[in-house]
Amino acid sequence: MKKEDTVKLISAEGFEFVVDKNAAMVSQTIRNMLTSPGSFAETQHREVTFPEISTTILEKICQYFYWSLQFASGKETEFHIEPELTLELMMAANYLHT
Amino acid sequence: TMNDRKTIDLEQGWEFMQKGITKLKNILEGLPETQFSSEDYMMLYTTIYNMCTQKPPHDYSQQLYDKYRESFEDYITTTVLPSLREKHDEFMLRELVKRWANHKVMVRWLSRFFHYLDRYFIARRSLPALHEVGLTCFRDLVYQELNAKVRDAVISLIDQEREGEQIDRALLKNVLDIFVEIGMGQMDHYENDFEASMLKDTAAYYSRKASNWILEDSCPDYMQKAEDCLKREKERVSHYLHSTSEPKLLEKVQNELLSVYANQLLEKEHSGCHALLRDDKVEDLSRMYRLFSKIPKGLDPVAHIFKQHVTSEGTALVKQAEDAASNKKAEKKDVVGMQEQVFVRKVIELHDKYLAYVNDCFMNHTLFHKALKEAFEVFCNKGVAGSSSAELLATFCDNILKKGGSEKLSDEAIEETLEKVVKLLAYISDKDLFAEFYRKKLARRLLFDKSANDDHERSILTKLKQQCGGQFTSKMEGMVTDLTLARENQTNFEEYLSNNPNANPGIDLTVTVLTTGFWPSYKSFDLNLPAEMVRCVEVFREFYQSKTKHRKLTWIYSLGTCNINGKFEPKTMELIVTTYQASTLLLFNASDRLSYQEIVSQLNLSDDDVVRLLHSLSCAKYKILNKEPNTKTISPTDHFSFNEKFTDKMRRIKIPLPPVDEKKKVIEDVDKDRRYAIDASIVRIMKSRKVLGHQQLVMECVEQLGRMFKPDFKAIKKRIEDLITRDYLERDKDNPNLFRYLA
Repeated sequence: MKKEDTVKLISAEGFEFVVDKNAAMVSQTIRNMLTSPGSFAETQHREVTFPEISTTILEKICQYFYWSLQFASGKETEFHIEPELTLELMMAANYLHT
Repeated sequence: TMNDRKTIDLEQGWEFMQKGITKLKNILEGLPETQFSSEDYMMLYTTIYNMCTQKPPHDYSQQLYDKYRESFEDYITTTVLPSLREKHDEFMLRELVKRWANHKVMVRWLSRFFHYLDRYFIARRSLPALHEVGLTCFRDLVYQELNAKVRDAVISLIDQEREGEQIDRALLKNVLDIFVEIGMGQMDHYENDFEASMLKDTAAYYSRKASNWILEDSCPDYMQKAEDCLKREKERVSHYLHSTSEPKLLEKVQNELLSVYANQLLEKEHSGCHALLRDDKVEDLSRMYRLFSKIPKGLDPVAHIFKQHVTSEGTALVKQAEDAASNKKAEKKDVVGMQEQVFVRKVIELHDKYLAYVNDCFMNHTLFHKALKEAFEVFCNKGVAGSSSAELLATFCDNILKKGGSEKLSDEAIEETLEKVVKLLAYISDKDLFAEFYRKKLARRLLFDKSANDDHERSILTKLKQQCGGQFTSKMEGMVTDLTLARENQTNFEEYLSNNPNANPGIDLTVTVLTTGFWPSYKSFDLNLPAEMVRCVEVFREFYQSKTKHRKLTWIYSLGTCNINGKFEPKTMELIVTTYQASTLLLFNASDRLSYQEIVSQLNLSDDDVVRLLHSLSCAKYKILNKEPNTKTISPTDHFSFNEKFTDKMRRIKIPLPPVDEKKKVIEDVDKDRRYAIDASIVRIMKSRKVLGHQQLVMECVEQLGRMFKPDFKAIKKRIEDLITRDYLERDKDNPNLFRYLA
């Protein structure tokens, strides 16, 4: 994948998740940031740090991004959420407006 | 993790936010600042997020919402407004555009940082969204204070541009976009705070211009200016005004330039509508149409003037023809002469000319078609020199269709002319009169072999049928068909003769059998046929009887022709004459000299006929008979004898017998037919309505018959009375103006 089409999402522990830009933009918050008027240099867009989201949750969220895109294009599958992750996942989702 | 977050205090959190906001302001003011990084962005967003998701009493949504608004109010009051207040006119406009653009950027950024508030808080408290709050601040603080000044500056620039100066159109567009955008979906700010004044100013501007131009300029020049102004105003809309202004703006301009001065313009003495028509200024008239078609009822006066003009042109033609006719010799009065033919041709040309005007200048508009029609109806129904227009038109057709009439014209030219003549017929109210004259002349052409071209004859009948319906032409078509049948019949007759040597007429005989109903009525006189011809009649009668049992033959000798050999002293010559003329000449086989009275009694014809006959044989171009005394007219005391000395360089000559004037008879016949038609119409109407008042009955009668003629009110009244006496209708006992149908 081309560098311009990806975004790096960094968890609280410093784990880097490189995801497709379109996938990341499933999050309204990330989308807003990426489409803000003017003053961002290109390179600045590439990395976003989430000091309050753990690696496990962030990973799950990235999975969700991709599942969401697939679902939107017609593939009707289920997205499984482990019960113990539920609360944290919901809070992260709220934060990310996903 | 999120659960273990430390609570952020409002002041603390706000201090952090304030840094971000200040950075944003600096960037907008053009001060040196670094760009926002994604980290900066997320931090600001997260701060707001956290402060809104903390447990009460640290849930600061309301306060943050208020501080959001205050940020704008603050910035505007301290920085934005002062910078605007110190500038004026165009500079002020530029500053405003810049500040507005900046404001929008600021709203976008801040609303992204504070975005979490938009998700739940505003809905819960039914508050306006962040975006709206931002714009409202600008509206209430900046727009509110300055819009009037801005408006005036814009209008002033517009007026400058109208006077020919170059202005910054992009700037105006940007300013007016503010008026639109500040409405946040509604156009009321644009319309109330700008457009209304702009329209008023426009009206005043053009009112001033118009009041000068109307005095100084000719109608065409004024119209040209008006058209140019409208064009420029339309362009103005596309350059910087909002598209919804277009109809309102153009309406104002049209009103001031055209509606207000419509009459003065049209009636300008040397250059107004009348003059333009008179001088054939088609360009100017087209422009007049384009302009006046835009204002309400604008075309009505133009169409009226057009109608007046065409009517007067046509009436002038009528007068011209009348004058020319009255200068002719009295004896030629009853014959439709050259002048009348020229008149018809000129009317056709007039029609062509002004129909082109209707199609080209006036874009085929119904108002002008109507005007043309009404104008022509006025003067086309005026006769010339005692001949009705119906007769003139029929004679015109006859001249084209007969031999020697229009041989120089090409087939297309003839077709075209016939087409136009039929069109003119639409304007003549006495169509039935035309039909009768036409029929009479058609009969003459067919029976005396004077028709130039069969195709043209059929073609005009087709056109007449299209215009006036099948009933109009059914008899005429029957006449044309009769001739074809007659030819067949003659072939059969000749076959019969060759098979029956006993049935020998002694002379070459050609008989044309006509179907009575189709042909005009002819009086048949009891002419004393010469013996030679009597035999012919008998032979044919036998033949005809053998073919059809139930038909009666009536012989019309007045329509026959005869080729007769005159054994003159110098040389024998063949004379082509009518049957009547032949009968007269054959009398001189038995007698050398005959008196007028003797001829009358021997022929058994009327005096009128005999006078005509003798005149054609003794006082015209060819003197077959000698007359004593040798005067120019026939009198009852004259004596006639065979002129043995007669000769001509040709071997064969035709001796014409001028036709009787059919005019009176035609008019009589038509009047009779009209009486029947009115009767039938009244009965039809009453049968379906049962009871009807006098006025209504007359109106419906006129409408029903209108396609063929305009019935006279008195005539209708008379026919009603007649129908009452014949028990078709009765008068109501109580109301004499009410009629009842009697079954």
